[in-house]
Order: sequence, then structure tokens, then C-alpha cells
Amino acid sequence: MPANPTRAHPAEPGASGLVEERRKAALQTYEVESVPTWRRSGFWTTSLRGLDLEALEPKRYEEGLPQLDLGDDQHSALIVQRGANVVHTDVADDRLIVMPLEQAVVEHEELVREYFGKRLPHDEDKFAAGTAAFWTGGVFVHVPANARIEHPIQIAWTIDEPGTAQWAHTLIVVGEHAEVKIREFFEAPDFEGQALHSGAFELYALPGAQVDLAHYQDWGRGEVYDLSTRRVEIRRDARVKWVPIHLGGRLTKQTLDIITAEEGSDMRHTGMYFTERDEHLDLFTSDRHEAGHTTGDTVWKGVLTGDSRASYEGLIHILPKAPEVDTYLQTHQMLLSPKARGDAIPSLIVEVDNVKASHGGTVGELDEDQIFYMMTRGVPRAEAVRVLVEGYFEEVVQRLEDPGLEDLVRRRIAEKLKGAEDQVREFIGERAEAV
Amino acid sequence: MTLEIQNLHVRTEDREILHGVDLTVKRGETHALMGPNGSGKSTLANTLMGNPNYEVTEGRIVLDGEDLTEADPDERARAGLFLAFQYPATIPGVSVANFLRMAVNAGREEPIKVKEFGALLRENVDLLKITGDFTKRYLNEGFSGGEKKRAEILQLAMLKPAFAVLDETDSGLDIDALRIVSEGVNAMRTDERGFLIITHYTRILGYVRPDFVHIMLDGRIVREGGSELADELEQKGYEFVREEVAGSAG
Repeated sequence: MPANPTRAHPAEPGASGLVEERRKAALQTYEVESVPTWRRSGFWTTSLRGLDLEALEPKRYEEGLPQLDLGDDQHSALIVQRGANVVHTDVADDRLIVMPLEQAVVEHEELVREYFGKRLPHDEDKFAAGTAAFWTGGVFVHVPANARIEHPIQIAWTIDEPGTAQWAHTLIVVGEHAEVKIREFFEAPDFEGQALHSGAFELYALPGAQVDLAHYQDWGRGEVYDLSTRRVEIRRDARVKWVPIHLGGRLTKQTLDIITAEEGSDMRHTGMYFTERDEHLDLFTSDRHEAGHTTGDTVWKGVLTGDSRASYEGLIHILPKAPEVDTYLQTHQMLLSPKARGDAIPSLIVEVDNVKASHGGTVGELDEDQIFYMMTRGVPRAEAVRVLVEGYFEEVVQRLEDPGLEDLVRRRIAEKLKGAEDQVREFIGERAEAV
Repeated sequence: MTLEIQNLHVRTEDREILHGVDLTVKRGETHALMGPNGSGKSTLANTLMGNPNYEVTEGRIVLDGEDLTEADPDERARAGLFLAFQYPATIPGVSVANFLRMAVNAGREEPIKVKEFGALLRENVDLLKITGDFTKRYLNEGFSGGEKKRAEILQLAMLKPAFAVLDETDSGLDIDALRIVSEGVNAMRTDERGFLIITHYTRILGYVRPDFVHIMLDGRIVREGGSELADELEQKGYEFVREEVAGSAG
């Protein structure tokens, strides 16, 4: 190990010196930065005024597997963090490294040193800095080159009680030509009171890797604030399919970036969200092409009920040295309540000639002609609405290509629609009468 | 056992389209409703099913003695009315088979058993000479005009309604498809079921012979007769009827 004069504790094993330096620098940023307010498109504002940050603290739990709904019974590995610490790790496939990031810092120094924080600067904003400074536990996954892993690797983050601050970091390295399915879950029971999940996620798909990645977020009815940045880097001829599912959270502010970093890399990014009650969702995704001959395909669909607010902005960014890119982005949003407000903004920055890039977006309501059609087949209005919304999401759900997880998502959507049935009926009924 | 349309006046936001239509279809009968584009045929079909875009200002729709004028579309369907749409809606994310199962179950107390449904579906798919992965595709998504019509008739065959209205089911079909669809309809003509076949052309009536023919012009039924009326129309065209009506009015 080379000497490092700035390291506070030179005797520390592994890469912990690197981590400690980052913590220190991040803490300085955290302390000087104020709590941000995000503004978009003139009128959209995401504010953390309602969050009492000082009242939250990390909470530690005994080891043991908590009750979780993960869709699939089988896994190649399962790692679960409750609050501030990892409480369960089960690695069924011994080719994999799946362990708390804290442990990997010591035991897999070279890998951690090479990738940790590579795409996640600690000073992007207060919460990025907070996460870099305060993370505990954490998840590290390494899939060795050429390994074909049949069952999914499951990662779960749970918040079990109000007052919790969860500072999270997940680092995943998928080796060359490896094939793997990775699912990361974010779950909380319905509780009264506030909690915070401030998350960092980075995944590196090395040349030729094939990654099937899904995120499933359902923070329940508690006041969980989720402020996260997730980045996926795709190297030469590698492919990542990424399906983020957002089914609940009092306030979610996330940045999801997918980067085709080298020639021949390909990404498929298909996401969905369902907001209800007074939830607030602010999503920014980017499809960033850093190299030529890369391909992309982004589709996001959302449904808004209750008094919820949802804003989605999807950017395609093609950098100067990236010719011959072929990519497109679509974003759709459906309002099922007169009090919900949303927007869906596709945008494009192209800094090179000779690329194919297109985008489109719609914001609308359920189609009354479709409802009428289904009713003429004897289907009551509420069921017609449910089926149409499920059908609308089906394109995204099927991209999971994972029957267990697909069923979990369908079940949750059906439950949420059941809960929203009365307001939907009223809303659609009003529209029908207005025609 | 009848479908009675009594003095029906119907309007959209802008104007009145039907100005007092009377038409009675008994079970076991097949009626043809003919007329040029814009005469009000599709308005009648949509009003029969309770399309919220059309408002009934006068008159009644009565099925087997039950007044359905104010009923919701799903109640009308469960009472035994069916419409094969001229332009059916697309239902993304719902396969033909799943849609059919839902529609069949909507008319039953207990959901149909998987085996029974499979047998019923196979029987009707064969009847309409449907091949390939048709029933696995999302309903009407990316369907050709002919495929949409076939999907409508497949629903008719599965749901077995007491009264079926076919709105321009023949338009957009080539000869082979028209023959298959017509044979399907003929197979469903029983004493228990009435048909109202709405068409602009006479060609489907060569395959499905109606018992009665009604001609609609400008929101009114202006002539009625047996199947020979369709033959007369074939020869003389709608202009002839229009002139005749204008003559008798003058």
C-alpha cells in the first residue's frame, strides 16, 4: 500500500483510509451546505421544509431476517439492512461476494478502492455529502467475470420505525461477461412519524456484462423521505436493463443516471410510479451517452391519485465524442384524481452530429372511450378503470421478466387502485358528465 | 321477448341527430338497418349501449319489458345487449383471452372454470377460423381493420347475448373474412337471439339474409320492408329513396 500522508489513521486496514478521507471531506460539505430546495420548469418545487432532520437518528437492530415481501422465493444471495446495520446476509452461490460494504472495505480493498464513489462525488449536494459522511452497514456485491448467476441477488433496505435516519450506500461491480439479476428493495411498515432514507447506489457493468437490475420502493404510509442518487455505468458491449418501481413514499427526490460509457454499450430503462394521498415524487433520470455506437431506450409511466404530486424529467444527453448513438425516451403520466398534479418532461442535449435521438411525453386522463367499451362488455366502471390502469403499467411490469416480482407489483397496484376507487369513480364520472 | 326502441330522440352537444326512431326486434329475428353515412345509424347503436356522448331527450329503450333508457352500459350488457363496434377501442396491456374471460365473468355469478373457458374459447376461435397467437395479443393493439372486426365477433360468440347490434361489421373486410364472419353470425342465429345489422352496403346481406330491412335517412327511419328492400336498394341506391321521401313529403 502506498503511503498516504493525509490519512488520519495509517494503521487502519484495507481501503478504510480512503473511506475515512471521503467521510471527512463530505462532512465539511454537509455542514456548510444548507438544506436544498429543488426547482424545475418554473413552478415545480421540491422542498424539505416539512422534514425535521434534527429529530432523526440512525437506529441499530439485532441480527435476524425481518419479514419481507420480495416476490421471489429463490435467490443466489440475500442481504438485508435494517436501519443502520446489516442484519442478515445469505450467500447461496459461492462465486459471489455479497457483504456489508463496511466489511468489504477491509476484505476487498482493491475492488473497493477502484470503484467506490467513482461516479458519486461526495459534494453534489447536502444529502449526497450526508450519505458519504454518515453511511453505515452498506452493501457490496461483486459478480466475478464470466459467471452466469441464475437466481437474483436480493438487496433489501428497511426502515422499521419513525425517527430513523438511514444513510445508505450500495456498490455493485459486475465482472466482464458476467450475467446477473439484481433486485434492490426499499420497504417500511405503515407507521406514524418521519424517517429518512438518504441513498447512494452505484453499479459498474464491466465489458460484456449483462445486468438485469430492478429497484422496488414501497415505503408505506409513514412519512418516509427518500433522497437518493443512483448511477449505472455500462462499459464496452455490456448491457443493463434497469426497471425502477416507485410505489410509495411521503417525499421522494431521486436522480437516476444511466451511463453508456464505452462503445457498444446498451441500456434499457423502464420505470413506473404510482402516487397517492399527499405523496410528493420528484424524479430526474438521465440517459447519458459518453461514447459512440451506444444505444438506449427509456420508458417511464406514472399514475397519480389523491392529492399527490409527481414530476418526472427525463434527459437524453449525448456528449461530443459520442456519434452514432441511437436512443429514445418516452414518458407518460396519467391523472386519476382532480386534485393530483403532475408533469412529465422529456428533454434532450445533443452535442454531436449523426445520432438518432427522439423523445416524447404525454400527460392525460383515462380514455372515456376505453371505459365505455369495457362497460359494454358488462364490466363495471371501477373494474374497467382498474384493468385499464393495470394494462397501462403492463408494458413496464413485463419488462421485469420475473414472474414473482411481476406478481408483487401487480398485487400492490391492484391494492392501491382499490384504495383509490371512490375518488377515481367520482373523477371519471364528473368527466363523463362534462362531455 | 323483444328489444323495443320507442320514439327515440338523441342529441350530442351540438345538435339533435335522431328525431324519433321506432324499431322493434323480436328474439329469433334478424333486422338490417341501412342508410348512407351520417344518417344516424351509429348514433342509434351507441345510444342503445348507453354511450355517455349521446343524450336521449325523448323516447325509450326497452328490453324484454325492462326500461334501459337510463341504465349504465354495463347494466345493459348484463341485461343481454351487445354491440359489435364499428371502431372498437384499443385496450393496451390486456390480451384478447384475458379480456374475454373478464367479459364472460361479468355476466356470471361464479367465475368460469379455467377448463370450461378454454373449451369455449377454442370452439369459437375455430368457428371464426382464427389462427396464430391472436388471443394472446393485446386487444385491438396493432390489429388490422379485419382483425378488429373478427375480435368483435369473437366476443359476440363468447358472450351469447340476447340481442346483438352489428355496427358496420362488414366494412373493411375482404370477401374471405366477410364470409367467415357471416358464417359465424349465421351459426349464432337462433330463436333465442335477435340481430340488428347496421350496414351501409348490401353485400353482408347476401350472406346473412335479414327478415326485415329498415332504411334510415337524416335521423329517421323512412322505409321498411322485407329482405327484398335490400335488393331494391342494391339496384337503385340511396338517392332513389331520398327522392322518394322528398316526393311524398311534398
